[in-house]
Amino acid sequence: MMRICKKSTIRTAVLLALIMTLAGCATSVPDRYHDANMDFSILKSVAVMPFLNLSGQQLAGERVRNTFMSSLLATGVLYVIPAGEVARGIDRAGLTNPTAPSSEDVAKLAAIVKADAVITGVVKEYGNVRSGNTIANIISVDMQMIEKESRKVVWSASTTQGGIGMWDRLMGGGGQPMNDVTRAAVDDIINKLIR
Amino acid sequence: MTSSTSLYVRIRHLLSIVLLCAYGCSSTATFPDATGGDRPIKESGTPAIAILPVVNFSNTPAPLDSIDRQWRQGLKKRGLNLLDADIVERVITRNRIRYTGGLDPVTAQAFKTQADADAVLVMVLELYSDVQPPKIALNARLVSTSPQTRILWIDGIGLAGDDAPGLLDLGLIEDPARLAAKALDDLADSLARHLSPDPGPDARQSVRRNFRPQMSFQSLELVPGKTYRVAVVPFFNLSERKRAGDFMALLFARALSVHDNITIIEPGTVRQQLLDLRIIMPSGISLANADLVFHRLNADLILNGEVLDYQDYRGASGSPKVDFSAQLIEKNSREVVWTAKSYKRGDDGVYFFDWGKAHTAHELARQMVALAVEDMIE
Repeated sequence: MMRICKKSTIRTAVLLALIMTLAGCATSVPDRYHDANMDFSILKSVAVMPFLNLSGQQLAGERVRNTFMSSLLATGVLYVIPAGEVARGIDRAGLTNPTAPSSEDVAKLAAIVKADAVITGVVKEYGNVRSGNTIANIISVDMQMIEKESRKVVWSASTTQGGIGMWDRLMGGGGQPMNDVTRAAVDDIINKLIR
Repeated sequence: MTSSTSLYVRIRHLLSIVLLCAYGCSSTATFPDATGGDRPIKESGTPAIAILPVVNFSNTPAPLDSIDRQWRQGLKKRGLNLLDADIVERVITRNRIRYTGGLDPVTAQAFKTQADADAVLVMVLELYSDVQPPKIALNARLVSTSPQTRILWIDGIGLAGDDAPGLLDLGLIEDPARLAAKALDDLADSLARHLSPDPGPDARQSVRRNFRPQMSFQSLELVPGKTYRVAVVPFFNLSERKRAGDFMALLFARALSVHDNITIIEPGTVRQQLLDLRIIMPSGISLANADLVFHRLNADLILNGEVLDYQDYRGASGSPKVDFSAQLIEKNSREVVWTAKSYKRGDDGVYFFDWGKAHTAHELARQMVALAVEDMIE
């Protein structure tokens, strides 16, 4: 009896050790990129392009962009070119795909609207997710910044906010309102840009 | 030949300036009023007011004739000097005036010269729902017929039948006509109070502090004592509600006009300039267009923005939803000097018996805009 008990303890210990070793080997995928050679302090103004909307929700791109532009301007760190001016720049530069501009397009647009960099974004998810009887709002956004002179991506980040948490699973409820989730995502991504 | 022509042109310009000045001084005496504008009143008595037909922006059928009639009767009862509807109709027909939701200088001049009107009263129906409980929202403003087309008074109201149901629903208004009459009475009271020699405070203008914008940023402090001319251009409308951009612009015009150091350019004049300049705003105003507007309207600031939601609800259950962002562009720097983003529901922060709930998008937006403007001015 004693021997069986000892055997199972050893087996558990080996299993735990194996799990810990494997966990230690795992690499976390970074969700941001900062160009090490870029001096971000030289950037004064940015143009935020219309976001590519991959979600099923119409206007999700515009909603996220609107919140992002207001929030970024509110930080006081960067001046955000007004959306109307960006639209004029897109028109004048003749960009056929403003959501994913080429490096030449970026240079052309930045010169027209007098921006130091251009930010593009992709809204991958926007809306609610369902799991069983539980429903909650979720947002997933990717953004990148392309610098005017080097025409290189100097910053990139992604974030996912909302979704069904443990609390929602246990207690039910519809999660946070979409606007609050959007604001959380935008705040998170701005933190990844500034810090 | 060339020099004589240029001399002739110069003399003509000089004469027109002199005539304009003489016209400006002739019929009106001005004194400051509560909205920060000047109130032209004929020295002999009360101003002669032309009432334009109610414009229906509600996108639903509404009893406009009845609203028009009640509006006129209510104002007459309060002793206002109104021009006959026939005279107003004649001016409208003669000048082929098709847009009555605002006043541009040419139309103002027509009313001044052809009907001897001192001011024109514009009324916009924003919401009309006869589904129980009924709802109504109205915007009104009094604009002078002087070449500057100054806003002399601007107000609005959003009412629902269940705003104050009271004990056992005794205060519930189920008749849409009764609700419309109440709204028109309130507006007529507001106008009469404003035109009276001693206008008291308006009790309807209270706001709930939790409708403050989620974020705002300001890089320019308005200089006290300096008067700013602000052109409020229609907001870029991404909501499902038609004309929500115009409603939001009117709410900002109203909230800003309360401040003494801000002069709001009449939205009808702004609209006409945008049309004359063929300005199409695919997603807000560009700086090149802003320059044109600054120059043509002699504005110091341009206020514009985006409306993402401007939702009313039908029936008893539900809540209005408003989501907008606004920005102020300054003339000299050509930069955004103030921005705010606000999104709310009418029942935000309401926990007991709908106490404090905003029942219409108009009422919710009014409070949100008032607080955003408060942030801007302070």
